[in-house]
Amino acid sequence: MLMKIAVCAKQIPDPANPIEYSDGQIVRPEEQVLDDTDRYGIEVALQLKEKFNAEVTVISMTKVGTEKGIQQALQMGPDKALVLEDDSLKGASSIMTSNVLSELAKKVDADIIIFGTESTDGYSGVVPQQVSRILNLPCISYVKNIEIDDKVTLTRQTIEGSEKINLPSKCVISVTASGVEPRYPNFKDIMAAKNKPVEIISLNDIQYTAEQNMEFLGIEDVSSTKEGEKIIDEGESHNIIIEKLKEIKAL
Amino acid sequence: MKTLIIGEVTNNELNSGTLEIISKVRELNLEYEVVTVGSSDVSKIGSDEFTNTYFKMNPNKLNLSSCANEINKLIVESNYELILSNSTYICRDLIAFLSVDFKTSPVSNVTNFKISDNNLTVMNNINGGESEYKTTVNSDYKFLLIRPKSFELEDIVLNENFQSNNINDDETSLDVFDVIIEEKTGPQLEDSKIVISAGRGMVESSNLSLIEELANKLNAAIGGTRAIVDAGWMPYSQQVGQTGKTVKPDVYIACGISGATQHQVGMKDSKYIIAINKDEEAPIFQISDLGIVGDTLTVIPKLIDNL
Ligand SMILES: Cc1cc2nc3c(=O)[nH]c(=O)nc-3n(C[C@H](O)[C@H](O)[C@H](O)COP(=O)(O)OP(=O)(O)OC[C@H]3O[C@@H](n4cnc5c(N)ncnc54)[C@H](O)[C@@H]3O)c2cc1C
Ligand SMILES: Nc1ncnc2c1ncn2[C@@H]1O[C@H](COP(=O)(O)O)[C@@H](O)[C@H]1O
Repeated sequence: MLMKIAVCAKQIPDPANPIEYSDGQIVRPEEQVLDDTDRYGIEVALQLKEKFNAEVTVISMTKVGTEKGIQQALQMGPDKALVLEDDSLKGASSIMTSNVLSELAKKVDADIIIFGTESTDGYSGVVPQQVSRILNLPCISYVKNIEIDDKVTLTRQTIEGSEKINLPSKCVISVTASGVEPRYPNFKDIMAAKNKPVEIISLNDIQYTAEQNMEFLGIEDVSSTKEGEKIIDEGESHNIIIEKLKEIKAL
Repeated sequence: MKTLIIGEVTNNELNSGTLEIISKVRELNLEYEVVTVGSSDVSKIGSDEFTNTYFKMNPNKLNLSSCANEINKLIVESNYELILSNSTYICRDLIAFLSVDFKTSPVSNVTNFKISDNNLTVMNNINGGESEYKTTVNSDYKFLLIRPKSFELEDIVLNENFQSNNINDDETSLDVFDVIIEEKTGPQLEDSKIVISAGRGMVESSNLSLIEELANKLNAAIGGTRAIVDAGWMPYSQQVGQTGKTVKPDVYIACGISGATQHQVGMKDSKYIIAINKDEEAPIFQISDLGIVGDTLTVIPKLIDNL
């Protein structure tokens, strides 16, 4: 039987540059890149594909733009992409995003839907769980490792340690940025990605009713760079540390 | 604003994040009740000051969604308007599930909130705490996920005065096995007066023995950056930062840590910050009280020998 996997890929402004805000929303350039966080989920999807008869579809919600990030996701090895591009979703809250992603997962008839744990730019960290609730699927959050033999075992990070779960036939998974090592595409993968199908749809193509429930009031700069001392070590700086620790009564 | 606090049990006790939220809500004079989720046997999680209902889950199941169903019923029955919880793993899942039921987005990474004239203003830090982002929530139900260490912990007298409810499984419950509880020894990150953290600038995982020696001498807890946790040098439970723990010790010693905003957000409110880094331009120096531009592997051994 064909296992259908949907894996999320979020396009974000290049994290090498500082995040800019305008009216409380992240300024998103035409060209956005793949959130590294999603590489871990894609890796898990591809490991499943290597063992089972699976089809992996990248799903994404984004503004109209160059789709560089989607290409980067496809270069790792997924089969195709379904992207909802709509500028009216600018500044979408988590529940709006979850509604859209749930609809995309339904459109590709996904059995297993894979997410990162939290996005690099928004880091609300609730979208995977929301999607599982919307679709009434079991939610296996904070997965840090996957072992595949005759069955599939996921290791979850918990607050006190870890626990294991067998992969059910239908579920939502969120993957943390550890445990699995995302693969690097080679030249052939990069060329192959260019020919993979990318279907682009807009809000009109899905059932969508979610609403914004937060209103932006302002951003205040609260940065406090300290006028601390800086000492270049010339072999004696350990004494300065000890003196300071004494001065502030930590010793 | 009628408030429900969703608390959490870790190591058989109400965790400090929960107690911090109770402290804050008490200070604001809000009418509130508490539900606590966990899977272990507990004794002292109740109080004469507030009602606490313990939702006990099966430790061999992952069934948070049926737990959310029970909390959902409670919210509707008792007309809670403001629902507060910690941004820990379990509570994040619960709040996310409930937010779908009540068709509203939770606010994540909250560091403060205010209520005036029944309007809720929520603050969260962005850019590694360099900016404070303010929003108001205008849905009927308001869900906030609060970062631990955001509020001062007040004295709260706990006793055995609480109710207990067992959570049953539902169709989304899954079996769990090989449950590992990492052993906790020595001073703990959350409540130690001194924290020593290591970054990739410790060069090799074997050099972490230096951090251990130093921590022993100073009776300090040990933390680390995500870079070294991902590299397997340290368990996740010791990660400090945006996706790890928030600490506010009297002294934080950052050893070979660049000071990425995602790390800073978990430690920048420490009272006194010492950084050792060989790169004079490392961002960690911008928030340090004492910066040593030097090699961790030469400075730390001398520090150990002279303490
Ligand atoms: C969504 C997201 C969440 C994240 N969450 C977290 C989080 O919770 N916590 C966290 O820590 N990070 C987090 N990060 C990662 C963060 O961005 C940084 O990558 C990480 O903190 C860097 O760790 P580091 O300082 O150990 O390593 P590096 O950035 O590689 O820095 C190593 C430093 O050591 C110095 N050094 C090297 N050799 C020596 C020597 N011999 N002596 C002295 N100094 C030396 C170097 O000059 C350098 O400054 C997150 C990132 C993302 C995208
Ligand atoms: N616009 C989006 N497109 C695709 N995936 C997304 C989008 N937003 C969030 N996700 C997924 O949800 C995870 C959690 O995101 P967040 O809740 O924003 O921290 C991310 O790591 C992604 O896998």
